[in-house]
Amino acid sequence: MKTLMIIVCLIFLANVAGAQSPDRTKTRIIRNATVLTVSHGTLVNTDVLIRNGKIAAVGQNLKAPDDAQVIDATGKFVSPGIIDAHSHTMMDGSVNECTKSVTSMARTQDILNPTAIGIYRELAGGTTAALLLHGSCNAIGGLSTTVKLKWGHPAADFPIPGATPGIKFALGENPKRTNFNIPGLQPRYPATRMGVEETIRDAFARARDYKRDWDDYRAGVARDEKNLIPPRRDLELEPLVEVLEGKRFVHSHCYRADEILMLMNLADELGFKVRTLQHVLEGYKVASEIARHGAMASAFADFWGYKMEAYDAIPYDVAIMTRHGVVSSVNSDSDERARRLNIEAAKMVRYGGLTEDEALKLVTLNPAMQLGIENRVGTIDVGKDADVVVWSAHPLSVYTHVEQTFVDGELLFDRQADIARRAQLEAERKTLEAAESNKSPAQGGTPPRAPSAIRRAYTHDDDIQDGEDRRP
Amino acid sequence: MTMLRPKFFLNRRGRRGFRRGTQRQSSSESSAQNSASSAVNRIFGLLLGVALFSLPLTARAQDTDRIDAQITNTPSPTYIIRNARIVTVSGADIDNGILVIINGHIAGVGANISAPAGAQEIDARGLTIYPGMIDLGSNMGLIEVPTGAPGTIDVQELGEMNPNIAAVWSINPHSAHIAVTRVAGVTTALSLPSGAVISGQAALINLLGTSPREMAVVPEAALVIDFPRIGGGGFGGPPSITPEAMTQRERRVDELRKMLRDAEAYGRAQDAYRKDPKSTPRPVTDLKLAALVPYVRGERPVIFRAEREREIRAVVRFAEELKLKPIIIGGSEAWKTATLLKEKDVPVILDSVLNLPLHEDDAYDSLYENAAKLHAAGVRFCISTGDSGAHVRDLPFNAGMAAAFGLPRTEALKSVTLYPAQILGVADRMGSIEAGKIANLVITDGDLLEPRTNIKFLFINGRQLPLVSRHTMLNDQFKDRK
Amino acid sequence: MIMRNVRLVIVSLALMLLLTIVVSWQLRSAAQRHTATDTYAITNARIVTVSGPAIDRGTIVIRDGLIAAVGANVAAPPDARPIDGTGLTVYPGIIDASTTLGIPRPSPTPGAAPGGLAALFASQAAPSATSPNSTQPPGMQPEILASDLIKPGGPEIEAARNVGITSAQTAPRGNVFLGQSAVINLAGDSPQQMIVRSPVALYVGLNPLGGGQYPGSLMGVFASIRQMLLDARRYQEANEIYERNPRGLKRQNYDKSLAALQPVIAGRMPIVMQADREREIERVLDLAKEYNLQMILNGGLEADRLAARLKAANVPVLLSLNFPKRTTAASPEAEPEPLRILRERVEAPRTAGRLAAAGVRFAFQSGGMTSITDYLANAAKAIDNGLSREEALRAMTLRPAEILGVASQLGSIEVGKIANLTITRGDIFDKNRRIAYVFIDGRPLDLRPTAEIGSRGPNASGTWSLTVNLTGSGNEKQEFTAMLSLQQRAERLTGSLQGQLGSGTISAGTISESDVNFTVPITFPGPGSQTTDAIFTGSLAGNQISGTVQIVGRGAGTFTATRSTVPTSAPAPTPSPDR
Repeated sequence: MKTLMIIVCLIFLANVAGAQSPDRTKTRIIRNATVLTVSHGTLVNTDVLIRNGKIAAVGQNLKAPDDAQVIDATGKFVSPGIIDAHSHTMMDGSVNECTKSVTSMARTQDILNPTAIGIYRELAGGTTAALLLHGSCNAIGGLSTTVKLKWGHPAADFPIPGATPGIKFALGENPKRTNFNIPGLQPRYPATRMGVEETIRDAFARARDYKRDWDDYRAGVARDEKNLIPPRRDLELEPLVEVLEGKRFVHSHCYRADEILMLMNLADELGFKVRTLQHVLEGYKVASEIARHGAMASAFADFWGYKMEAYDAIPYDVAIMTRHGVVSSVNSDSDERARRLNIEAAKMVRYGGLTEDEALKLVTLNPAMQLGIENRVGTIDVGKDADVVVWSAHPLSVYTHVEQTFVDGELLFDRQADIARRAQLEAERKTLEAAESNKSPAQGGTPPRAPSAIRRAYTHDDDIQDGEDRRP
Repeated sequence: MTMLRPKFFLNRRGRRGFRRGTQRQSSSESSAQNSASSAVNRIFGLLLGVALFSLPLTARAQDTDRIDAQITNTPSPTYIIRNARIVTVSGADIDNGILVIINGHIAGVGANISAPAGAQEIDARGLTIYPGMIDLGSNMGLIEVPTGAPGTIDVQELGEMNPNIAAVWSINPHSAHIAVTRVAGVTTALSLPSGAVISGQAALINLLGTSPREMAVVPEAALVIDFPRIGGGGFGGPPSITPEAMTQRERRVDELRKMLRDAEAYGRAQDAYRKDPKSTPRPVTDLKLAALVPYVRGERPVIFRAEREREIRAVVRFAEELKLKPIIIGGSEAWKTATLLKEKDVPVILDSVLNLPLHEDDAYDSLYENAAKLHAAGVRFCISTGDSGAHVRDLPFNAGMAAAFGLPRTEALKSVTLYPAQILGVADRMGSIEAGKIANLVITDGDLLEPRTNIKFLFINGRQLPLVSRHTMLNDQFKDRK
Repeated sequence: MIMRNVRLVIVSLALMLLLTIVVSWQLRSAAQRHTATDTYAITNARIVTVSGPAIDRGTIVIRDGLIAAVGANVAAPPDARPIDGTGLTVYPGIIDASTTLGIPRPSPTPGAAPGGLAALFASQAAPSATSPNSTQPPGMQPEILASDLIKPGGPEIEAARNVGITSAQTAPRGNVFLGQSAVINLAGDSPQQMIVRSPVALYVGLNPLGGGQYPGSLMGVFASIRQMLLDARRYQEANEIYERNPRGLKRQNYDKSLAALQPVIAGRMPIVMQADREREIERVLDLAKEYNLQMILNGGLEADRLAARLKAANVPVLLSLNFPKRTTAASPEAEPEPLRILRERVEAPRTAGRLAAAGVRFAFQSGGMTSITDYLANAAKAIDNGLSREEALRAMTLRPAEILGVASQLGSIEVGKIANLTITRGDIFDKNRRIAYVFIDGRPLDLRPTAEIGSRGPNASGTWSLTVNLTGSGNEKQEFTAMLSLQQRAERLTGSLQGQLGSGTISAGTISESDVNFTVPITFPGPGSQTTDAIFTGSLAGNQISGTVQIVGRGAGTFTATRSTVPTSAPAPTPSPDR
């Protein structure tokens, strides 16, 4: 018993210590790699110096302090961390607040789970940042959070300071609940694409009135009027006012060309720009219009055909939009796909003839631009955050795997360390399972749960409902 | 499917129309009948295409139908492909070689082959020829749109035991998935029905043809069994492992066992009657038992879905007891049972490479590494996407991921070419580039498993196919739109 | 003449005076029935006062429900009933800092349990009550008062007392705004006699509403809490402005939910929020900080990881003693449990010691444990894992009293405080201690073996009046009554039915927690009527069972059963660890 206590104490201390360690501010130098800067081409036999969480220098034969950790990357490749512009990882409870068709008061930031194993697996695939979105249950969904995947840190460290806030819209089959008829549950408005537009229009009409009420009130206060009762603060309408004022990005899930046009026209009418069209699988049909409106696009590489509105999807979508001048990215919308966005980007070389540099941009600089964080991440440039990935082979090659992933200069994934840790975890498991509190009850006891469903590839997560088994 | 009926019913009764070799003969055998019915086929195909894909889909899908129809109803051309790097898979690579295709087959492959008369020339300088890829774990052609179009879903029939349900009767040769998949280099797929305990019989099809009969390499290739288990999916959370659940599972296994033993007995009775119809009483026809006879006699393989270690062990035991020829599909924890699988020589169709690890604490690469571990242990396996149809084209990248995590690259290539052919017992016809085999070939400008590689030429059944699919056509339609 | 009037007046006055004296005497008696049996003196006992040093051998005198005297040299008064405390230790009565004691579980409406997909959308936490004329849906009503819902007695309260718990904070059940809690003594024939203080704190939960009602997700729950707090602030502000000068201003609608939130947003009433994991605790601390609320943390499994923040924000913790333990039976087929959960179970007993070391104020609560005997056992475990005995005892007595604002009445043994005492043979944290006496409000209680009643939940034994209502059409009689006699042994139910549905013996009767199932053959009245099986599925709450019934070959219906007599014999006992 005492030994057990000591071992578990040590393990706990190690974990605690790990979180507090000076690893965060350690100086590191990655030597002799092929560096894919994304901003200024490919540099061979190049070093990258990381200090205080930033990229301090990029060049050949750099000088490094004696206490710097040296990573020999000879034969290896270095790229900026991958940014996933459509993610539902690390969220507690349901990804959707489905009970109303406008839920702009819901905030993904309230339900962040920094211990979700999906975060670690994505780091192991080279993903370092993500746009965490509300699901696509509603025409106007909740507020998004732009995060860095800072595994091991508390939730408060994840949101990127200064990132422009966002909100999720959704068009098409999901907000009109075509595919979700739950017996016993009241159907919810809207049930058609017409109703989806109406819902958005109506919400913004209310937001405009709300803004006017508050402007009037503030003017009255400024005029020193007495006895003014302030209007009610409405957490649903305030984010929409921010959208009208250009302070909040709209990220809208959409599929069909007609609904893409509808939203952009509506936005033009209301005086704002859609920031990103998400999925936008028929974007290729109206690429010019998207470019003219000034929206950006974040789509799947070649995922298609899973529902009617995805039936006209083609893997050339991203390339066509890119050639028409739309800043495009490739996203995952899936814990599983988010582990291999490098391969998804590589597919765009085949489908539509993007160059390797253009393809790599689809998961680095372009999503950074879409999220308004390109001044901090997305390329390997001196002064930017050290969100950097070391690959065993070119990131666009199917044969590559991630060796190390750094976020803000901190080593958050190391393949060798992960492999070395496995035996220790097995030993820990044996010890823990022998502990008193982990023993099964002597008599009685509820029957154990049966194994849960396999989490297959080739899925997307937008429609996760309350209560669905989301155990990893 | 009106156009298919006449041929089907004629052939189905005796099932002779689907035996190996008949397919080749059918085009020359009854050519008169063929040209008349081919016109009928074409009209029906067009009408069907319009009907199925009119709203909101463009009518262009019928263009790929036209290609298929044209191709399969014309005499098989002769080709000579020169200056290619040839990756035979079964032997050494040929750096600068020639490949000749005659009558749908590889007539010759090597460094110095003479050109036959009337051969179409293809210059493959700078290109590589690979065998067409084979995916043994799909529902190709059985399902068009999984959500929102239930009329297109023909994967799962009602009832617990459906051995006489055959996927080949339900495959839609005009599914958009067919062309989309083959232009990515996957030439052949096993299409499995699913659900229930005995789901039905899977069909091995080439992705070319205007009827399942034309497509089928082996129309009833394997029996598909979803071995009874507790839990593993469904809304409302998994049930618990109660004694009742275990009893119920055992009961279902017993029912399965009983049916298979009954089939054995049925087969014996049928043989006895055939041998001596005068003195033996005529057994009552039972289509289900009749369908099972070749499988219980070990003549054809039985594919068992099993993911976890316990399930895999149970399946191997069961198959041994009933003297079946098992293949495991799924195999997420196959690496844990590698010794057993090797000992009993049970091959595995790994369709779980890109799945998320089963448990929170599993190593992040536990499923990526599965194939490498099986290879190291000498277990026979192949890699599949496990996808219903739309994403079977992702097959090479599943193999590539396994290669990124320890599987030697040559093995990764074999796991999507030769190994699936061997596992399904069609390695004499496909899976590698050897003289005599069917000319299913994909010619690329790079490594077949790499996403940046482009497919340049495609051959199925020795016919060159244009690299056209629903996706390329929509691309052409819109890419230059101002 | 005048003399006669004066005499009349004097007599009337005298009569009135006499009447007054008699009446007031009666009233006084009613209020303080100073009977001869209410004074006790426990002599020669070890007395752990908690507020001061322990008294190795001393006497404690109880009178009128209060502690009249305590000390080493206190003499037992002659009118006191003596209790020999030799070998006994007297502690202040244990306070369970967070429960639902005394608040009946809401009875499920028949047919309300949807299956399959719809079940996913049913809420897990049905609210204890619905407030009339509320602007908010049930589950979102801060105006609900525990004191309105409390019912005295019941198996849970009995079970708690049997392990030495004398008072508790009790709060309604629900989803988001659960209602306002009360501190109760676990004895008394009426709610009024039980309530020590009400309201104490507003309980806020993070459980989404079910059935497609907003909020249906955790995100929605947070948003709705924020919106209500903002609305409450504005309600106050708007009402103030309106009150000052209503002319020209639109009247604000009366909203009792927002009115109920006023003490909370003013910081006068604390808000109790449930959170166990580090990120959950951070969320609720952030929310409290955002709205400047005085917060009490309920649960606190991983509170030690945020000890510094809790200390700095002066947030006390109601630390759950319901340590996570493995409840599933071993099975070779079971999937491995995540390391995270295995670690959590081993770590849980350590939290208390770490909080104490960091100077965070905390009190123990039972955390909804199904077997209340675990309360002291787990407190002992916490001591084994780094918590001092003194701190542990304090966390069960004076600390909860302080946190809940009843420290002047409860929590320690001091003259003038309410005489709630837990008296043990052996140290209270020893495995072999026995509860010798429990005093609540100065009266000793009958203690029962803790085995079946409390730990197994509701007991279905007894005679019940059964009413069955069948759905159907036409002129057939639909309602039938019968007498149902049930005997419960562990999880098996036996018994019989007699009445308008004929006579029959129960088969396949089971009870698990409060789920009751049994099958009984019934015969409908009327000639030529055949006997058929009726399958009853229901839920037991207190003295009521209600649910659905399936009659083979006839159809379905609903039933209710009300207990008319309590079991005359105790159910089969299993060995109790305490005796």
